[in-house]
Amino acid sequence: MTQPVLSVRNLKVEFVTRRGILRAIDDISFDIAPGEVLGVVGESGAGKSLTGTAIIGLIDPPGRIAGGEVLLQGSRIDNLPKEAMRRIRGKRIGMIFQDPLTSLNPLFRISEQLVETIQTHTDMNAQQARERAIGLLTEVGIPAPEKRIDGYPHEFSGGMRQRVVIALALAAEPELIIADEPTTALDVSVQAQIITLLKKLCRERGTAVMLVTHDMGVIAETADRVAVMYAGRIAEIGPVREVVQHARHPYAKGLMGAIPTLETAADRLTQIPGSMPRLTAIPKGCAFNPRCSEAFARCFVERPDPIPVGVSQVACWLYKYGKEAAA
Amino acid sequence: MTTQPPDAFVTVRDLRKVFDVSKPWLERTIERAPKQFLKAVDGVTFDIRKGETFALVGESGSGKSTVARMVVGLLPATDGTVMVDGISMTETANSAAREKLRRRIQMIFQDPYASLNPRWRVQDIIAEPIRAFNLLSSQKDIADRVGELLTLVGLSPLDGVKFPHQFSGGQRQRVAIARALASNAEFIVCDEPTSALDVSVQAQILNLMRDLQDRMGLTYLFISHNLAVVRHMASTIGVMYLGRLAEVSPAKEMFRNPRHPYTRMLLDAVPDLGMSGRARIPVQGEIPSPINPPSGCTFHPRCPLVMDRCRAEAPLAIDGVACHAVQEGRQSAMAARKSA
Repeated sequence: MTQPVLSVRNLKVEFVTRRGILRAIDDISFDIAPGEVLGVVGESGAGKSLTGTAIIGLIDPPGRIAGGEVLLQGSRIDNLPKEAMRRIRGKRIGMIFQDPLTSLNPLFRISEQLVETIQTHTDMNAQQARERAIGLLTEVGIPAPEKRIDGYPHEFSGGMRQRVVIALALAAEPELIIADEPTTALDVSVQAQIITLLKKLCRERGTAVMLVTHDMGVIAETADRVAVMYAGRIAEIGPVREVVQHARHPYAKGLMGAIPTLETAADRLTQIPGSMPRLTAIPKGCAFNPRCSEAFARCFVERPDPIPVGVSQVACWLYKYGKEAAA
Repeated sequence: MTTQPPDAFVTVRDLRKVFDVSKPWLERTIERAPKQFLKAVDGVTFDIRKGETFALVGESGSGKSTVARMVVGLLPATDGTVMVDGISMTETANSAAREKLRRRIQMIFQDPYASLNPRWRVQDIIAEPIRAFNLLSSQKDIADRVGELLTLVGLSPLDGVKFPHQFSGGQRQRVAIARALASNAEFIVCDEPTSALDVSVQAQILNLMRDLQDRMGLTYLFISHNLAVVRHMASTIGVMYLGRLAEVSPAKEMFRNPRHPYTRMLLDAVPDLGMSGRARIPVQGEIPSPINPPSGCTFHPRCPLVMDRCRAEAPLAIDGVACHAVQEGRQSAMAARKSA
């Protein structure tokens, strides 16, 4: 078996507040293989963006990593000094954020931003770096890159800006890209183009991708595997087809039924009652128990850990004790 | 004076909105630049029957929210008419009748964090339309009615004393719905009511809106960019592109057989959650700037069926579709290519 590009082991992230310690990410583990796209979905507050932030070591106080390990190509990166981590970001882990306008500096030309990034991580001279930048812009599908490269971010449309951000993320040939809601700010027709592009580039280069999004449609189109997060935990993780079509965890099932699609003819959408608990009031036992229609005694006292079910991993007591125990 | 077709509850005829987006006078004089105008809505016509949901879909900048604002009267129309139940909203005559009509029209906005006054208790927010239109006078009657409305939208009457920040996004949108219903509104304009919500909460709100429609015979104008949501809610759909309606079709018909090339493109862009592996034509280009829209049919630079006539002449809507290619029967070529 090949070594995974990224391994997250029992990661915990906490926030120290006046009202006590809030655990935003509670013991999550997953791997991403070379060239694989792992989708991370969940609703707001599930901890999906925070997972990305924790991996690249950008959690600001009062937040802190309270336990667990993050391994990049087998070596730990969560305990590296700041300076060493800074060199990894951009060079070995590329990042794409939601809003392409705020991730580009409005005061600098695209060329300056790309050349700076390339020169930081390689030993190219300015001329070589500029040529490489033009090459990257061509690759991400920006027409007339020789001319557009000297434009400012405001001269680009939303979709074109996101292409520039992708070019920036790819500039140093990273092993892993963390894309946090890369298409949420874009229109559907542009979103489709960006997804196709991201997928194609990563496939060609063998780059592993962690794709964080709330949009199950984007995941279904792009990801190889998907992790469904709920209240700081992974509820279910498995191959995308498995999770989308035969979700096992009651939350994942409900989530799939709640999404209106172009294919289903259902008159009413499946409804999960209530909403995600706040961090200050995570229920005891399984965090999903107040909203779960299949909860039984054990769910209220003990927290389930992910167990293998078929090809997926599911954190739900139903699959350990079967439906008989529930009845 | 326009008249309404017999079965129409809301009639919109040739609605236009032009914004002046010129630079300030001094700058313009120095640069000798002409005034600039943005045609946000450029001749939109549709009818909504009573008890029906009419949806407007389109990408950002297509003018769908501007139409919604003009229909409720939040924005004055540059030209065109809006009639609801036989009374014109846009013509100044008969203001007393318009005053009465206003009670029957309400709006639900996209962002429930911005549309509820953070300093008011929820009971006051919901009671405001009741007080403004003098529907009930005694405090007790108003309190009872507020409790009834809260129950109707799935909250507890005890929630009335809380402030908006004590609610989640979905609950806030329920409050906004209760407020819209407080004046016994019959026609509700919903501008992206679930775009700010998570999917599981979105499902709750969409189901609630449908239940209320069935129970109270509400008529909705539903604005959304999400085709899957629209498919779930609407009986008739209008697809907007750069301020014009590209296609108006019954919902089922549109999803089974999209006619306008832009509608096809939008449908192909929706991620395939069912992983049915349906054949899709990749999307091209982006929506151009409405300040300087393309000539002729504004969709022509992105259209796979473009020909000379499209660049020169804007197509008129015939049988719900504004497209030269469809009218000339050339779209079958595209369908053939798709199945090949």
